[in-house]
Amino acid sequence: MLRQVPACCTFPAVHILLIEDDTEAARVLVKGLSESGYTVDHAADGREGLARALAGRFDLIVTDRMLPHIDGLGIIQQLRRARLATPVLVLSALGTVDDRIRGLKAGGDDYLTKPFAFAELLARIEALLRRRPSATESTVLRVADLEFDLLARKVTRAGQEIELTAREQKLLEFLMRREGQVVTRTMLLEGVWDLHFDPQSNLVDVHISRLRQAIDRGAERLLIHTVRGSGYVLREEEE
Amino acid sequence: MKEGRRWGGLFNTSAFRMSMGYTLLVTLAVCVTLGSTFLLTQSIIQGDVDLILDTELKSLENEYVRSGIPGVTEEINLRIDSWGRIGAVYMLAGPKFDRLAGNVTNWPFDGAPTEPWPEFRIESIEPGQRSVHPVRTAVRKLPNGDWLLVGTDMSQDRRYVRTFQIATLWGIGLSILAAAIAGFSFSFRLARRVGDVTVTCVRIMSGEQGHRLPVAGNSDEFDALATSVNRVLDRLEEQTRTLRATFDSVAHDLRAPLHRLRTRMDAVLRLPALEPGIREPVESALREVDRLQRTLATLLQIALAESGAPLASPAPVDVGELADELVELFEPVARERGLTLTGRADHGVIVEGNRQLLAQLITNLLENALKYVPAGGRIEVAVKRLADRADLVISDNGPGMQSEERQRAGQPFARVGQHSGLESSGLGLSLVSAIARLHRARLTLEDNAPGLRAIVSLPAVEAQLSPESSSRSISA
Repeated sequence: MLRQVPACCTFPAVHILLIEDDTEAARVLVKGLSESGYTVDHAADGREGLARALAGRFDLIVTDRMLPHIDGLGIIQQLRRARLATPVLVLSALGTVDDRIRGLKAGGDDYLTKPFAFAELLARIEALLRRRPSATESTVLRVADLEFDLLARKVTRAGQEIELTAREQKLLEFLMRREGQVVTRTMLLEGVWDLHFDPQSNLVDVHISRLRQAIDRGAERLLIHTVRGSGYVLREEEE
Repeated sequence: MKEGRRWGGLFNTSAFRMSMGYTLLVTLAVCVTLGSTFLLTQSIIQGDVDLILDTELKSLENEYVRSGIPGVTEEINLRIDSWGRIGAVYMLAGPKFDRLAGNVTNWPFDGAPTEPWPEFRIESIEPGQRSVHPVRTAVRKLPNGDWLLVGTDMSQDRRYVRTFQIATLWGIGLSILAAAIAGFSFSFRLARRVGDVTVTCVRIMSGEQGHRLPVAGNSDEFDALATSVNRVLDRLEEQTRTLRATFDSVAHDLRAPLHRLRTRMDAVLRLPALEPGIREPVESALREVDRLQRTLATLLQIALAESGAPLASPAPVDVGELADELVELFEPVARERGLTLTGRADHGVIVEGNRQLLAQLITNLLENALKYVPAGGRIEVAVKRLADRADLVISDNGPGMQSEERQRAGQPFARVGQHSGLESSGLGLSLVSAIARLHRARLTLEDNAPGLRAIVSLPAVEAQLSPESSSRSISA
């Protein structure tokens, strides 16, 4: 079976700074990220991490929350004070809902609780790297022959209108805005339903399969694809 | 209204009842003391007068024995003319009460008086004013049948007694007033200080752990009480902090190895050309790691909620809307399992809380129902506003729970049911109970006959937001 290669690799040499004091975990992460096509620098404590982050030009910083000398949230504060807008993904062993909310409020762009699936980390890194404000905010999203008129809240496939509930529209919008990116179940729960915890049921799968029925049924080319072990991706390509 | 309730509250305090009793006691004591003093003084004055009258009467009788009627007459005239007693009245009368001598013109009584100290009044017209003098007398029948009367003008004494009486009444009145004021202010101050303690305790219970009882600094018993309660609170806060630190380090110490384990297994799965015979067991081990991690997260969340740490940054949450969103989220899953899931939620039912935790609470109750209700069953989620409470009710017509199971389910860390094959069912309900506690809500599990009915009764926020302002958009 072939592994999905993330779309990250279309960017020339993306630089990531990983600040993590657990050297063993860091080693595996650096290896995994390098294999996925990223250039990774590793800092083993908060002070070194902050110095590197301020000096180098990184596209993204992945930092542990609890670090020697300066903790992850402290690093974010210093960066923002220095007017550096580099996106930061916070990794944390603290996992209560409050911790996550507090972490996000402190200026982190995303928050991931350890232990996490590597695929989840990759998907979130990709999402943060792509999250650049587009110059013109278009009011119609288009992927292949699928169109979503955001103002009229109207979805059409090959000119044929598709009836969707408000939540299904939201789900579709979330996927279309991230065309070609892997979106995990957790990301969908957070982004579409604003739920920052993992229900045990296969909720997302059921909702995706309903959306897929509405969008892809009878269509020649499927748009919503399942990425094994990761999540889903919406793109114009046959599986 | 609030003021009235406060005063009503004051009347209900034991301090007020005690001070009422104290006031009554003081009143009684003052009445007895001053009243008996008054009566005693009055009788002493009267006794003095009576003694004088008796003495004079006796000396006149002796005079009669010594020198007969002429002697008595002479003695009486002598006494009237000399500067003797002030206001003295004498009369010697014949057997028919006709005047023989003395400074009273007519016999003042109707025949012989029966009482021992008869009294009569003399009207005197002095220049400018007319006054009435009460006269107390002693009357004796002399052996020859004549009548002898000795009296004293009592108006001076009566004035004293009257003044004394007024003073006594004023004394009693003022003492009662003073006792009442003292008692009332005492009970008011007592009620206020106890009230301060109550208010502080309520604030601490609602999560403001930094609060302490006020110490007035006059080292009375209240200060002693406040100081020791504050010491207990310090201790509790320290324990909470220690507990929290322990949770954090446990979380870190357990998660770090779990994280390394998961990262390595992930790395194995990413190896190219991995044999299916290896991939499958590693994937299943990975699922176990995830399950372990989820259980750990739930345990920590429960422990944190039960540690008494306050809810971090509570915000208004529309439970009705949240319930509807979750019903919408779970509905397809329920339908897939052949269950009917319906929502009947009032919108605009606002509670102060954490949206994520409340969502977790509803999710756990729903997943519990999904797990146990067999195909064909019904699950209903309702949110109702009842006076100052918001009731979230999740009911099903599944197998339900034994009544003792229902009671135990609310307790922290209680595992319910012998369904060992199902994953952490008891933990799910413990988390529900912990989140309910964090939100100062009552969790009740009832028999839905058949099935289970879980009622989470949350304290609702008074002001209802308009539907526009309460509906929140979820950022994509």
